[in-house]
Amino acid sequence: MLKIDNVTKSFGGLMAVNDVSFQLDDTGITGLVGPNGSGKTTLFHLITGFYKLDRGQIHFKDKRISGLAPHVISRMGLVRTFQQTRVLPFLSALENLMAASPGQTGERLSSVFFQPGRVKLEENNNRERAMQILGLLKLKSLDQHLAGRLSFGQQKLLELGRVLMARPKMILLDEPTAGINPTLIRQLVDVIRKLARKGIQVFLIEHNMPLVAEICEKVFVMDSGSLIFSGTPSETRQNPRVIEAYLGREDYGA
Amino acid sequence: MEYYAQLLLNGIIAGSIYALFAVGLTMVYGVFRFINFAHGELIAWGAYLALFFTRSPFYLPIYFAALPALLITALIGLAQDRFVFEPLRHGNRITLLIASIGLSYFLRNAIRLIWGSDLQTYGFMPTRGIDLAGLSITSAQITMMAAAILFLGILYIILAHTMLGKSLRAVADNMTLAQIMGITIKKVSLAVWVLASFFSAVGGVLLAVDTNLEPMMGLTNLLKAFAAVLLGGAGNVWGALLGGLIIGVAENLSVAFISPGYKDFISFALIILMLLFRPKGIFGILGGVR
Amino acid sequence: MDYLLHIFIVSLIYAIFAMSLNLELGFTGLYNFGHVAFFGIGAYTSALLSLAGHPVTLGMVCSMIVSGGMGALLAIPALRLTGDYFGIATLSFGEITRLFFLNERWLTKGPMGLPGIPRPTWIGEGVAGLPWFLIFCMLLTLVVFILTRHLTRSPFGRALKVVREDEYVAQALGKNALSFKIRAVTVGSILAGLAGSLWAHYISYISPADFTLTETILVLLCVVLGGRGTNWGPILGAFVIIFFQEIIRFLPIPADFDRFVAPIQGMVYGAVLIILMLKRPEGLLQEYKE
Repeated sequence: MLKIDNVTKSFGGLMAVNDVSFQLDDTGITGLVGPNGSGKTTLFHLITGFYKLDRGQIHFKDKRISGLAPHVISRMGLVRTFQQTRVLPFLSALENLMAASPGQTGERLSSVFFQPGRVKLEENNNRERAMQILGLLKLKSLDQHLAGRLSFGQQKLLELGRVLMARPKMILLDEPTAGINPTLIRQLVDVIRKLARKGIQVFLIEHNMPLVAEICEKVFVMDSGSLIFSGTPSETRQNPRVIEAYLGREDYGA
Repeated sequence: MEYYAQLLLNGIIAGSIYALFAVGLTMVYGVFRFINFAHGELIAWGAYLALFFTRSPFYLPIYFAALPALLITALIGLAQDRFVFEPLRHGNRITLLIASIGLSYFLRNAIRLIWGSDLQTYGFMPTRGIDLAGLSITSAQITMMAAAILFLGILYIILAHTMLGKSLRAVADNMTLAQIMGITIKKVSLAVWVLASFFSAVGGVLLAVDTNLEPMMGLTNLLKAFAAVLLGGAGNVWGALLGGLIIGVAENLSVAFISPGYKDFISFALIILMLLFRPKGIFGILGGVR
Repeated sequence: MDYLLHIFIVSLIYAIFAMSLNLELGFTGLYNFGHVAFFGIGAYTSALLSLAGHPVTLGMVCSMIVSGGMGALLAIPALRLTGDYFGIATLSFGEITRLFFLNERWLTKGPMGLPGIPRPTWIGEGVAGLPWFLIFCMLLTLVVFILTRHLTRSPFGRALKVVREDEYVAQALGKNALSFKIRAVTVGSILAGLAGSLWAHYISYISPADFTLTETILVLLCVVLGGRGTNWGPILGAFVIIFFQEIIRFLPIPADFDRFVAPIQGMVYGAVLIILMLKRPEGLLQEYKE
């Protein structure tokens, strides 16, 4: 589904992502792990078009996406979240979701004025769907609250909901459970699993290794910009290179 | 040919003053990551305060009048930060920018209130140019050049050779890294505002020596400083110096081709061209997505 | 009585002007510091056409087209970058437009300005026509209000807010942030053009001095005071500010102090902008409910 060939990106002299190639087939939930600064987030930025690649190609569903603008990639069904939670603080939780609905007729200026009926119908459908997703996230009672006033964990959930609303074929989650409490982590994991069962590919960056082992079917490991290993979670934990990559950093106290 | 050489000379003189304006603007951007729309008023205030000290009851000669003027302008710069920008720095960006444009309007009208809206000068007699290898240059222009070179030299020494300059550039480069290195942001921010106001005021006085004073001079020169900053890459001090020179030369050479009424158009055209083709400046580096 | 009519008419024109800026500043988060340019372009377009003998209605339509076109033309390069650059580009554009009005004498008569701009013929001459002109302005304000409210409450308006809140999120959700911003500026410029055209036909004499940064500050103040991102805010702001501005003329100010009035007014505007940003950045009306 997602095919990455020889992708390279450097900043100044620093190789952030160095000749990375791999392929994601229909494997449900896939993890991307590695020490801090190993290039995981940069790779996400490259896949989703937020950074331009120096070299290499990326294909999604057999279409080349490298070089396309982020919004074009998103419209193809490849939708991401950000490492730092980015809800739209001065929009309500409901609006946060409704805004994410793809291909809205009402986002065209002419339709706003000349096809009000169609826009209204779409809005009603989107509102209904957004409320369903809020229900799934157990946020239904907060629909009119400003997103910026929600707790950090609720914002994380809302962000996931927003990605759902965009009707993705594949989602990239950048540290979805970072900084939230164990109860919410369970809730988030449940949602992620539900998505995977519905046939949405999940690709996530995660530092919580037990969690990765629990939910991912396959794991890719990066270190210093290179892909050093791929396999099942249990293979990953036993691989000497992976262990070295993590321990090597710990020697420096990172 | 001589005509063009003359224009080039005028351009370099004007450009060295724009460089003084641009350096402060780019330093503030580098450290605080916002464009201070009130920066132009520091230029104007510097010039007007010097005027103030050349008149009753002080009657100081311009060289001495400039000193208290520079100090007071530095205080204005510090006050800008202390009372307006610092409280807003961590809030919404648009709030900060609206406050800065409000501040510029406030300061400009304060000038109009105190000194009136008419053109004024320091009262030098216009002197005939000295002939220099076929080029004409007035003694005022020579003084300006010398002063501009002197102050740019001082700036260079501060930035390149003092601890302060090093930490300043470190902060402009990377705020978090600088914090890790133990550079206190308070000290650096103080230094930035003092330096930015000081050099703007110097530029303002020099410009007023050659031309005249009017309340709009802040805005007009702010746009030139913007263009210089963009040319050099926002946050890049050396770039801003060079950018200032380029603007000065381009503007003065343009007189040969377009109506002088459009001299200010050059900086605008450069701003748009830079935004279109080289948004990161000639050698600047700007951050992307975090 | 006539004076009250005058204040109402000016307030309504500024209400339209402010609504147009609010679309950019309030809903899309774009700091347009040169919005007066589009007001001016609208005014000159309409004035020139009607002085050439064309019907006023045609002038008004054309002013919207020309302003909107210029807005799009400026927005496409200026919006390619995020950050403060749009503020720089628009501020410069405002100045350049004024320079254009000042220098292109063949078209604009330069500083002399354009006198004798006609009112719509069905409105009637002089003071007798004022009530009718007021009704005309009220109708247009109502239409603009309804249209912008409809627009900002639509998915399009919501998308503008998404862009305002977080451009990267907008892109991650498949929205072409640049395109939304360009469309917002274009619609904003069209409406500013309409306001400018009304202004020209009402005041009947325009000159480059009417389209300075002062007018930008004034309209900025209307939006910010009233409440950015609200539909009623700009209208409320316009009435408050214009009443304040005009009421000053009734104060018994000695002739000697006349020259101080404008600068003090300017300082007050600047100070109000700063204090608003520090103390109540959301303005009188708040966009969101707590």
